[in-house]
Amino acid sequence: MHFELLAHPAIVGQFIIDGLGRGVMYGLMGMGLALIFGIMGLINFAHGSFFMIATYIMYFVAVHLGVPFPIGIMFAALGLFLFGAAFERGLITPLRARLGRNWLVDGYVMTIGLQIVLENLALIVMGPREHGISRLIQGRMSVSGVILTNERILIFSVAIMVVATLAAFMRLTSLGRAIRATSEHPDAAMAMGIDVRRIYTITFALGSALIGGVGGLLLSTYPAFPTIGSDVLIKSFIVVIVGGLGNVWAAMIAGILLGLVESFAQGIASAGWQNSIIAAIVVMVLVFRPSGLFSKPISRP
Amino acid sequence: MLASRWKYAGFSLVLLFLAAVPAVANNNYLTAVFVSVLLFFILAALFDFMLGYLNIFNFGIGGFMALGAYTSALLAYHYGISPWFGLLAGGCATLLLGLFAGIITLRLRGIYVGLTTLFLAEFVLFALSNLREYTRGAAGLQVSSLPDLFGISFSRSNPLALYYVLFVICVVIYVTLHCVVNSRIGLVFKAIRDDQLGASVLGFNVVRYKLLNFTIASFFIGVVGAFYGNYIGILVPTPQEFGVARTTEILTIAYVGGRGTLWGSLLGAFALIGLQEVFSVVDQWRLVLYGAFLVFVLMVFPRGLAGGCKQLAAWITRQVQPRR
Repeated sequence: MHFELLAHPAIVGQFIIDGLGRGVMYGLMGMGLALIFGIMGLINFAHGSFFMIATYIMYFVAVHLGVPFPIGIMFAALGLFLFGAAFERGLITPLRARLGRNWLVDGYVMTIGLQIVLENLALIVMGPREHGISRLIQGRMSVSGVILTNERILIFSVAIMVVATLAAFMRLTSLGRAIRATSEHPDAAMAMGIDVRRIYTITFALGSALIGGVGGLLLSTYPAFPTIGSDVLIKSFIVVIVGGLGNVWAAMIAGILLGLVESFAQGIASAGWQNSIIAAIVVMVLVFRPSGLFSKPISRP
Repeated sequence: MLASRWKYAGFSLVLLFLAAVPAVANNNYLTAVFVSVLLFFILAALFDFMLGYLNIFNFGIGGFMALGAYTSALLAYHYGISPWFGLLAGGCATLLLGLFAGIITLRLRGIYVGLTTLFLAEFVLFALSNLREYTRGAAGLQVSSLPDLFGISFSRSNPLALYYVLFVICVVIYVTLHCVVNSRIGLVFKAIRDDQLGASVLGFNVVRYKLLNFTIASFFIGVVGAFYGNYIGILVPTPQEFGVARTTEILTIAYVGGRGTLWGSLLGAFALIGLQEVFSVVDQWRLVLYGAFLVFVLMVFPRGLAGGCKQLAAWITRQVQPRR
């Protein structure tokens, strides 16, 4: 334990900046998972594999084809949008049609199957080698001893933009309203003339596109690697559970909280234990506040 | 009556097959294959005992195994306690973990149970790899082999004897699970699975029945885990060994075998382990195969191999019986 480090404002500032930087990444990762869970009730175990695919797309487009990064990120998001839509239509929709209300357990076992296939196919096809880039954009600045890279600022602004766009989309467009109506009461939504089947496909594709774009954006921190997804999946789970399952905005706050806890724990405590501490926190949240830290307390689900 | 007689005949035949083949073949490779078939069979049956009968999704079964294995191994390593006793001690350790996990989670809805067990298992694995002075962490913990009993050597150089130890463990677990499932308690399990609200209205304490199921399963997972530790000889807390990867393998076998039928897991284990041995596939293709099988079963074969067998049996009965 190195509590004496907390006496230096520059070091504490650096911890906070590092924590915020990581936390925003975790929040971005969790949002796609939270969106899909919030609307469909489905836990997407292949979430991390979607991230992995996106990093490969981004690497291919940005490094091999040499197009600018924003376009690469768009390609990654678009690719995952199509992949998510195809997966939902091809495998989840028939499952839901057959099983009716009880499709959820089989649904997440299905995503487990997909995750195993994708991760190991990637190992075979791409090999256990990292494909990464050192940074998206150059430059850094120093404010009274605290170092801040431009890339962090970029990720931070993208996060704010994504949250704002998603909020506007959900509240202002008719498609967004249809999605929210479906999440609240599918039967009533259907009675109002909403094509629930289509809404589910769009939601799943949107959640996939979100993680796809994030995978492209974070390529410099998370290089393309077949098993990169497992870490992303666990981090997303943590964020989504602490924020409250299905609560997209709370996932961002929970992400920042997780980033700060990690950054301080790594700075002060000995390495390795922060994982145990965080797993214990998650179990405690699940037990005492299963609906998450930032939602109104409701009866136990 | 006829049907039950057929069932016992089938059960005895399977027992005879599993008992005789490795001894007759007396081939270390075949014995190793049978050991892994039995290990995965019994773990998948335990998984199915929770999922197929009460809809309890234990996504941390790998971590539970790790706790059983490490308890037995650490007792032998630090305190010289006999691994034979360790089999029970491993079971007791996971029984306590299961009781704890059950008390805190089983009131919750399905997916929360899955996530809580997942993170409890992660906690166990992280703790095992962080307590380096005690468990040797990633360096690996040597497990002493089972000591001789009745003049028979149970060391790892005698895999046939180890196979029979596992065989006995599996028979004991299977018979116990079978008795529970076919007793009055088993009927309550099925009632809760099919309609939880209805069962609780009838006055059954749903949480208590779930806790009973979960605790029994946890105890046996620990016993199997302790045996596994003795069998492989070195314990490393990696995800491939005890993490999500292991859990998904067990889950796949349970699903391929068919949910809600304990014996289906044996078919699942033979099918998947057999396939990978026949084609002697490399590790990654093996897992691709597992995933593809899982998706395939969910899409076109939701009742698994056991469901297929039942349909086949019904068809044969129809053909054999003369039409009136």
